Amino acid sequence: MSDVISVKNLVEVYSDGTKAVDDISFNVREGEFFGFLGPNGAGKSTTIKILTTLLRKTSGAVEIAGFNLDSAASDIRKIIGVQSQETTVDGDLTGRENIELQGHFHQMKSENIKRRIDELLGLVGLEEAAEKRARNYSGGMKKRLDLATALIHKPKLLFLDEPTTGLDPQSRAAIWGYLQKLNKDEGITIFLTTQYLEEADKLCKRLSIIDSGKIVASGSPTELKREIGADSIRISLENCKKDTSRAKEIIKTMTDVTDIMESEECLTVYAKNAGLLIADIVRALDSSDIRLASVTFSSPSLDDVFMKHTGKRIRTEELVKAPSRMFGGRR
Amino acid sequence: MTLLSDTRYIFVRYMTKLIRTPILLFFSLFQPLLFLLLFTQLLGRLGNFPGILPPGVGYLEFATAGILMQNAFGSALQSGNSIVADIDSGFLQKMLVTPVSRPAILLGRLSSDAFRVVIQTAIILGLAYALGAYVTTGVIGILLIFFTLAFFGLAWSGISLALGMKTRSSETVFAIGGVITFPLLFLSPALFPISFLPDWVQTVSKFNPVSYAVDASRALMINGYDWATILPAWGVIGLVALITMSATLYQFRKVVS
Repeated sequence: MSDVISVKNLVEVYSDGTKAVDDISFNVREGEFFGFLGPNGAGKSTTIKILTTLLRKTSGAVEIAGFNLDSAASDIRKIIGVQSQETTVDGDLTGRENIELQGHFHQMKSENIKRRIDELLGLVGLEEAAEKRARNYSGGMKKRLDLATALIHKPKLLFLDEPTTGLDPQSRAAIWGYLQKLNKDEGITIFLTTQYLEEADKLCKRLSIIDSGKIVASGSPTELKREIGADSIRISLENCKKDTSRAKEIIKTMTDVTDIMESEECLTVYAKNAGLLIADIVRALDSSDIRLASVTFSSPSLDDVFMKHTGKRIRTEELVKAPSRMFGGRR
Repeated sequence: MTLLSDTRYIFVRYMTKLIRTPILLFFSLFQPLLFLLLFTQLLGRLGNFPGILPPGVGYLEFATAGILMQNAFGSALQSGNSIVADIDSGFLQKMLVTPVSRPAILLGRLSSDAFRVVIQTAIILGLAYALGAYVTTGVIGILLIFFTLAFFGLAWSGISLALGMKTRSSETVFAIGGVITFPLLFLSPALFPISFLPDWVQTVSKFNPVSYAVDASRALMINGYDWATILPAWGVIGLVALITMSATLYQFRKVVS
């Protein structure tokens, strides 16, 4: 299978000297559902803006569907669909008119637009609201409409910048459904960014974890988790400050413990058979007069992968964002 | 030609938005209409004093050209806001990831501005007609007045568009726009005959592009095809347009590249 996206040594330095993207390389194969997982400010949106021809890269080589980003931007625009982080539908136009306008921007014939709109309205479940002005749509409906506008020209490659940020769980699940359908049924290659572990885990066949402009790990979710090779036990202590180092010493000596790290709840222990180990840990700490607040254990998650490579957890910020300025305002 | 068809789609989008938010039209027409209905009444007796207005011309007839100018100003200043709104909402970005013709984005906006000025001009002229002020040059003259004001409106849209793209703040566009507009209007023969104004204002008004545009539409309304007034006015407006459009183009290039 050929590469739809090929990125080599991509760097983006803003005019104030911030290195938003710091020498990343990756490729996405045709038909793949590929993701960038990382916290806010990791460089995900910047990368998407570069790949979608909106932002000029500082250095590096990028090819989209065989087209060179520097010399064939207009060819690239014909075959990509983009849903940006902000929901960008025109509230004064109806749902149908919003999609239609995008079709015209892609120089499609009117009868093709009409046929495709009906398909898309069905896909995102907006048939009934199609003639209403988008201003009156709910947040979830606007996102779905936005997705439909990005699909009007049957793009070969779809870029989604945090497509479900700020949505309620139900709308999120609905969007996930549409995306999986698009990838499977229409064979569209999807590049998605997200700060949600669950989203990356569920949707992406392959992903890169990105932090502070760097790719820290890549692979399928299963591969990445297998790399951790252990369950994680999260321990929080009543007096974390005082007891951490002592607790660490005690736990370190136990068999099956592969790694132990300080984390936001206090300690995270990686071990082969976490279920069996918990009782030992509780007993050992108790006999050393270290009081526990809580202990939880889980199979490896992408959060553990992130933790392992960056030393911190992905903080998902559920904030209502002020409308962000077009190009990040930092250029 | 994708440039023409894209321009048309963008023009239609802006017109649809305008029609669906009639409150915007109302607000930009409110001030000119207030002047047309009330201000001309207040100063209606100016015509009774000999030597102030041209003989046989009432104040309403005289002031209509100035009010048309005021109207062109008002809608031109809203142009910058529309581009700020498209930048803020991300809609401009959404257009830019499609193969849509880049110049069409600007041309669609400008043509909708010009069209809007023409519609509002027609409304004001219609109302002035009902109140008893006629365009002596008839239909052709009215078309030339449309052209003059649309052309002037475009030149002025250039200021608000450039400001909008530079500052990305509609408040700034309005503030700076207001600061530029009103002095220019008052330092011109828009609402008062030039001989009525103090000497220093008469001097300033000679350098005020608004004076030329007002004189041209006034000539078409009252005197007839006074080409010695009309052609220089178009020249002056063209010069202003050249400057403001260069600024707009410069800012636009920065935004789209």
